[in-house]
Amino acid sequence: MSGPVVLDPMTLPSDDNVNKYTYCVELRGDRWFLQKGRMIAYYGQISFDGVGHGRFENLLRTSFHSPLHVADWVVAQGSGKMLLADRAFDVNSYDLDEGNLTIRSGNLLAFQPSLALKQSIVPGFLTLIGTGKFVAVSNGPVVFMEPPLRVDPQALVGWADCPSPCHHYDFGYMRGILGGVRAMTGIGGASGEEHQFEFVGAGTVLVQSTEVLMPEQPTGAVPGEAGVPGGGYQGGQQGGASGMPRLGGQLGDLQRRFGL
Amino acid sequence: MLAVDMAGDAVKAKNGSMVAYDGQMSFKKMTGGGEGLRGMVTRRITGESMTVMEVRGQGTCFFADRASEINLVALRGDKLYVEASNLLCTDAALRTGTTFTGMRGAAGGNGLFTTTVEGSGQAAIMSDGPAVVLRVSPQYPLSVDPGAYIAHQGDLRQSFQSGVSFRTFMGEGSGESFQIRFEGDGVVYVQPSERNTIGGDV
Repeated sequence: MSGPVVLDPMTLPSDDNVNKYTYCVELRGDRWFLQKGRMIAYYGQISFDGVGHGRFENLLRTSFHSPLHVADWVVAQGSGKMLLADRAFDVNSYDLDEGNLTIRSGNLLAFQPSLALKQSIVPGFLTLIGTGKFVAVSNGPVVFMEPPLRVDPQALVGWADCPSPCHHYDFGYMRGILGGVRAMTGIGGASGEEHQFEFVGAGTVLVQSTEVLMPEQPTGAVPGEAGVPGGGYQGGQQGGASGMPRLGGQLGDLQRRFGL
Repeated sequence: MLAVDMAGDAVKAKNGSMVAYDGQMSFKKMTGGGEGLRGMVTRRITGESMTVMEVRGQGTCFFADRASEINLVALRGDKLYVEASNLLCTDAALRTGTTFTGMRGAAGGNGLFTTTVEGSGQAAIMSDGPAVVLRVSPQYPLSVDPGAYIAHQGDLRQSFQSGVSFRTFMGEGSGESFQIRFEGDGVVYVQPSERNTIGGDV
């Protein structure tokens, strides 16, 4: 037995992974944002404060733009090295250079204040804009792919620099009465892959290697205005009680399919 | 998974953690963890309960528990402090006992007491994800989240840090209000995951 590697402040990496599940951030008087409760250990003088602190008002204005979900974030500041980890999931850091990246809210672990964090108009996602480093968690290693591409909804972690995705339904499975019965009951065989997210254009899509989702973090509510997705505004929609829009007769209720 | 080669000698292991063996093995439940009557009473009182079996025989024995990571710690006459729930297996020559930890244990949700392992030999401790081993020296004290702490070794003083202020009660806590600060000379084992702790949400 060679014995475990004992790390100290000299041998700990600076802004890099310690192992697949632990990330080390070096602070030299600067700040990092991290999700609540993700720090596991630190050397040096580092203080942790809720973002809602009065003296971070300015930071809040430049980095968050929205007061709605700040309660889940912590500012670490001081000097030293701190270790971040999240429930033994894979941790990776990414560099963003004058770019934008949209990520599932539960997957973002920490980021530099030079990045601005905003709510994405896709519910449950957050968008980072600017230049800087951020740390994200995933269930299994992340694979980078380029559009055009269709991704399983559960495997999607995020996307960078490309237009927002749209839904894609497998037409053959969804068509006609039999297809409707199949989609609703599973009788006749459903592959479980009838629905994907479709990406087009130039950019990068981040895909994790399992279909087990990370628990979602609240991203904050959006104002209930007309035209705001997820705003709960139902006005003018055709869908009836469920509030779901209909897809040209292909996914309607059964009575519709019978022409009633 | 931990494989132990044995030639007539014995190891102490967490009850029910054997998953496979080849050769000849005998398993014996050790009442009170082999610490005698006094140890038994102490464990019962402190709540730091640990059910241990003694495995003796010839061959290879495999131990595992809930697919958690296993870290081997070599002891040379020094003392290892570990939570009973994180201790998988020790050489039979190692003595185990209980010790008072104070506020740290209470905030970590582990109770006020912890298990010590003393002597010369090897101990196997479990963690959720591979443990990171951090050295503490007089010029570099270390602070650890109570939920991520699993064990420490060496001549260390631990103190309890709390950053609770009135903001904590206004829902603006930092989530890192409680930390254990280690000073002195030794190593600390942390896991890349946090147990659910009372202190974890404030």
